[in-house]
Amino acid sequence: MGSEPPAPVEAGASAPVAEGTPAAPADETFRLHPLTPVALGGRILGVVAALVLFNLAGQRAGEGGGVNWPLLAVYGGLAVLVVVRGLVTVAVTRYHLRGGELRIDSGLFLKKSKRVRLNRVQSVDVLEPFAARIFGLAEVKVTTAGTERSSVRLRYLSLPAARQLRAELLGRSAGGDEGAPEAPERPILAVPHGQLIGAVLLEMVSWRLILLLIGPVLATVGQNNGHRATAGVGVVLFLWFAVLIAHSVWRRVTTLWEFTVTESPDGLRIRHGLFSTSRQTVPPGRIQAILIHQPLSWRPFGWVQVRMNVAGYAGNANSKSTMLLPVADRAFATALVGWVLGGVDLESIPLTRPPSRARLRCPLWWRAQVAGSDERVFVARHGLWSRTMDVVPHERTQSVRLTAGPMQRALGLATMHLDSTRGPVKPRAANRDALEARAMVDRQVERARAARRVSAGAPSGPAVAEATPSAS
Amino acid sequence: MVMEGPFAPPRDQSWSRVSPRLARMRRTVLVFTGVPVVVAIAVACGLASSTLAVVAAVVGAALIGLCWMSIGRNLRSWGYVERADDLLVTHGALFKKLTVVPYGRMQLVDVEAGPIERSFGLVSVKLHTAAATTDAKVCGLTPDTASGLRDRLTQLGEAHASGL
Repeated sequence: MGSEPPAPVEAGASAPVAEGTPAAPADETFRLHPLTPVALGGRILGVVAALVLFNLAGQRAGEGGGVNWPLLAVYGGLAVLVVVRGLVTVAVTRYHLRGGELRIDSGLFLKKSKRVRLNRVQSVDVLEPFAARIFGLAEVKVTTAGTERSSVRLRYLSLPAARQLRAELLGRSAGGDEGAPEAPERPILAVPHGQLIGAVLLEMVSWRLILLLIGPVLATVGQNNGHRATAGVGVVLFLWFAVLIAHSVWRRVTTLWEFTVTESPDGLRIRHGLFSTSRQTVPPGRIQAILIHQPLSWRPFGWVQVRMNVAGYAGNANSKSTMLLPVADRAFATALVGWVLGGVDLESIPLTRPPSRARLRCPLWWRAQVAGSDERVFVARHGLWSRTMDVVPHERTQSVRLTAGPMQRALGLATMHLDSTRGPVKPRAANRDALEARAMVDRQVERARAARRVSAGAPSGPAVAEATPSAS
Repeated sequence: MVMEGPFAPPRDQSWSRVSPRLARMRRTVLVFTGVPVVVAIAVACGLASSTLAVVAAVVGAALIGLCWMSIGRNLRSWGYVERADDLLVTHGALFKKLTVVPYGRMQLVDVEAGPIERSFGLVSVKLHTAAATTDAKVCGLTPDTASGLRDRLTQLGEAHASGL
């Protein structure tokens, strides 16, 4: 056992493991942190507190006579309900670590028991929503491979307990001994504040500049023609769009604040957030596909963004957790991606273009739709102005598809798709010569099969890295 | 037959075709839904003018005929091949698709039959991988073929299972 096991209960149920006891998979039973109700109901409690204060302040100002007791009683009742509900949750929820399994028992009347097989774990996140962070609490979210409801959330534990549990889960999921101490980290990248703000501003504003310009144009036209209503609309429009854009910039900057990527034996660690923070750990070989994206407005600076597909990180609610690098130099990002995929040189992969008749289907962009593969990965680039490069290691290919619509068939073209788990990366080789596309499909299937055979034993990925890209 | 090449079955193999009852089912559904709709529209047009009613009826009949024929083409486009390591599925007459699913990637195999399908003695088998975009469904199988396919697939899936 490491330092402090998280809030142990019922010493009888799980004999404490003495120092040096042989590693028979220990059973451990834990509970949620007693402050959980306050953090769970954080938002509602905050609103109630604000309402009460507002109410009292109103009375103090001497508007009504006396305090409005019935109203306060309603607010108080609401707060008590929220807290009681949370307390019940804490009282009935228990989680057990047993060998290679995490079991969560919950429910007051309707008992629920959920089991997670730890060798199926895709990632373990420690999240600190703002309300929880105030009390030093954190959520542990375990994502497993599956299409729906594939994550288990433990809300809330104290932060040290959460980190301890994460280390434990990752240790057990890798088949190691339980009671592993937190693995040491090695920094890879920390995004500087200035670069993050600049990048988000450029990305968010870019074409929306047109929206921002509508207002001033209208205002000037209205002013010059003495039409005050038009001028007024212009001002309102400008403010409206400015607020919208500022809001989205603010949200993005605060979620991606202090974005750091570190490498540890149990995987890549990604940490970010200003008010609500998140610490993700993606074990080696769990990244299904990666894309390197360069918005048009970033091109003068040579910046790129790196996002990834991780099984279970699906849907929009989780879109921020698919971020691997919010902004970095292109050379660095390419090197990092190559290294994450186990030492692939992305620049050396031969890429080919669709035949020139593809311009009838895809007038300007056909030139940019290049694709190719080597023994390890499939790579496709697309986008003329904003550029994207998709990378899939062969052993992570799920299935391969060939499609051709009526127009493509008339031109003798077809598109090859590689199916990856849900996420931002949707790799494909678009508008290839039909027979060439079929040959690509067959080759891709063959390579994926060979790669699966090789990787069947040991999981690939940067478990032990020899060379790390160094920040330039 | 220009496009037979890219969507051809693997060398030395041929597509297993689906039951022609699939076309019969779809045509029955077409007649039972399309004809009443066309008749209703023609009658409604007939209230305005009789020529309009004739035009509506002719156009409607032509559309139904077109659908009738495309159902036939679609039926002939379905096919699947079980290979040593993967399953190939193809379908689509206008938008052609070919999907290769390695057995080791299968997460589960669904066997489905709706009420209409059941009354025609048809079943469809659907393969799921960890990718939501995998489009591997074989429609219009007879129950025996379907359960045989399902059993073979699940067996092969276990034998090849390679996680994610």
